[in-house]
Amino acid sequence: MGGNRSTLPAAPAKPASPAREMLRHFLRHPAGMAGFLILLAVALASLAGPGLYGVDPADMAAAPFEPPGPEVPLGADYLGRDVLAGLLIGGRASLSVGLAAALISVLIGVAVGALAGWFGGWVDRVLMKVTEFFQVLPSLLFAMVLVTLFGASLGIITFAIGVVSWPGVARLTRAEYLRVRGLDYVRAAVAGGGRPHYLILRVVLPNALPPIIVAAALAIGVAILFEGGLSFLGLGDPNVISWGMMLGQNRTYLLDAWWAVTFPGAAIFFTVLAVSLLGEGLNDAINPRLRKRG
Amino acid sequence: MSGALLGMGGRVVNAVLLLLAVVIMNFCLIHLAPGDPAQVIAGEMGGASPEVLATIRAQYGLDQPFGTQLAHYVSRAATGDLGYSFYFNQPVSSLILERLPATVLLMAAALTFAAIVGTLLGVLAAYRPRGLGSLLVTIVSLAGHAAPVFWSGLLLLLLFASVLPLFPIAGMTDVTRPLSGIDYVLDVAHHLVLPAFTLGLVYLAQYSRQSRTSMIDVLGADYIRTARAKGLPERRVVLKHALRNALIPVVTLIGLQFAQLLAGAVLVETVFGWPGMGRLVLESILRRDHPTLLGVLVVSALLVMVANLLTDLAYRLVDPRIRGH
Repeated sequence: MGGNRSTLPAAPAKPASPAREMLRHFLRHPAGMAGFLILLAVALASLAGPGLYGVDPADMAAAPFEPPGPEVPLGADYLGRDVLAGLLIGGRASLSVGLAAALISVLIGVAVGALAGWFGGWVDRVLMKVTEFFQVLPSLLFAMVLVTLFGASLGIITFAIGVVSWPGVARLTRAEYLRVRGLDYVRAAVAGGGRPHYLILRVVLPNALPPIIVAAALAIGVAILFEGGLSFLGLGDPNVISWGMMLGQNRTYLLDAWWAVTFPGAAIFFTVLAVSLLGEGLNDAINPRLRKRG
Repeated sequence: MSGALLGMGGRVVNAVLLLLAVVIMNFCLIHLAPGDPAQVIAGEMGGASPEVLATIRAQYGLDQPFGTQLAHYVSRAATGDLGYSFYFNQPVSSLILERLPATVLLMAAALTFAAIVGTLLGVLAAYRPRGLGSLLVTIVSLAGHAAPVFWSGLLLLLLFASVLPLFPIAGMTDVTRPLSGIDYVLDVAHHLVLPAFTLGLVYLAQYSRQSRTSMIDVLGADYIRTARAKGLPERRVVLKHALRNALIPVVTLIGLQFAQLLAGAVLVETVFGWPGMGRLVLESILRRDHPTLLGVLVVSALLVMVANLLTDLAYRLVDPRIRGH
């Protein structure tokens, strides 16, 4: 690698660190910071919350349908389980599945999009056909089929969500690679005899990355919604409490205990909202042309 | 018109090939799933008995080589045979056909509501970018994306069941009094309001945002300035000249979102007990009725492709520039 790099023409002097510039803009973005802080609070609450609160979410803590009050701050569900305890522990499943599934979908999407955009020709045609195939299947339904056939465990749920939700990232990455591939510095690197994997990963990727980062942030939100939908339908891991599962189990008792449905859904809502706001902040920070609109 | 249709041939071939790929994938999933394929097809509830398993093995030719089995499976799917549901005791295709109209009705109602209201909101917001409408679009589009559709459905259900009993909250018809003719239609429409509104909210968010963006772009175009300079009334400039062009990206979005709309319908039908394909999905998941579930996947892909072809055709009819290709 080092040999390749030394043959390249010297890079022109960069303006003062673009990463720091982006960070500065992000820190000043009210919506983005609000999203970041909400997300941080949710993460801390689900990491430290269950230990601090100390109530077993599976235990009968009060009478069934006990409304919110001093005994159970957010009420009890149809089995007398403490809703707050469930919310705190349920965040772990939602967040970890959301993060891991988004990571899988971004990795697949970037790999497919980068190869298609860089090589073009038949590689592009084949990969885009595969992408199109995944796009005609309603992704949530496809995930349901995978989880039903292969079993509802956290691992399979994560994998299923990741596998069905990459096409958007792939198309975005492909478009970026097509754009960046024609830039002068890339042509110089190609002329310098760089190997394909070096060019794809080291030369083009950093320049294609900004919109992919924004898409990755949004993918986390979509994955959390998917996890919620699957658990709501009873396709969640039966051994792991999640927000969607609480909603699904309590929905038939909606009129007896509104709190057992409203709060877990609100947890999903605010977490996904925070992720979208974060994405918006990142987008504005990364894309200088939009900064003024913020 | 004929020119528009001519260009569609390639798209139709492409759609048929994609559908074939979905069927082949289904076949592979049955074989990849843990357990004996016959057991996977039978599911857990309906067909644990050895007789049923033997029937399935014979029917699907499971003792034959892989290639023969695949050819058999594909050729049966090509004739519309999507297998047999051992839980419902009915061919999957007739099971789905029974439920399909309810789902299509729900999706059409949700889409119409979202497209009309979303476009209006977007136009309003684009016209006064700093006004209340613009703020509303921002809030609706953020909230509509973040709210899980099953949660917003349940909240609406709670509201209309206890506080405001204006709309029925479950089912598609009033089972206590059988109606006919226009009364039946009105009854279904009355039941349709809440599910369609719930499902529509998600897409309302996206369409309002998209139409605001494209309307802002179009309003800045030269031909709009010309129209204003001609002294045309402002209403005519916005609604006739600008809106027509601003609608094109919205139509694209409708086509692109169709698959997700279908998945959303599954969740909404579950919440409101709407007797469509989504309910069928839930029941087949609960009963491990795999042929039905896989059949729904094929039919969904077919619906998505039909929707895409129709979007494409609509384009060709509207936009003369695309016709040549």
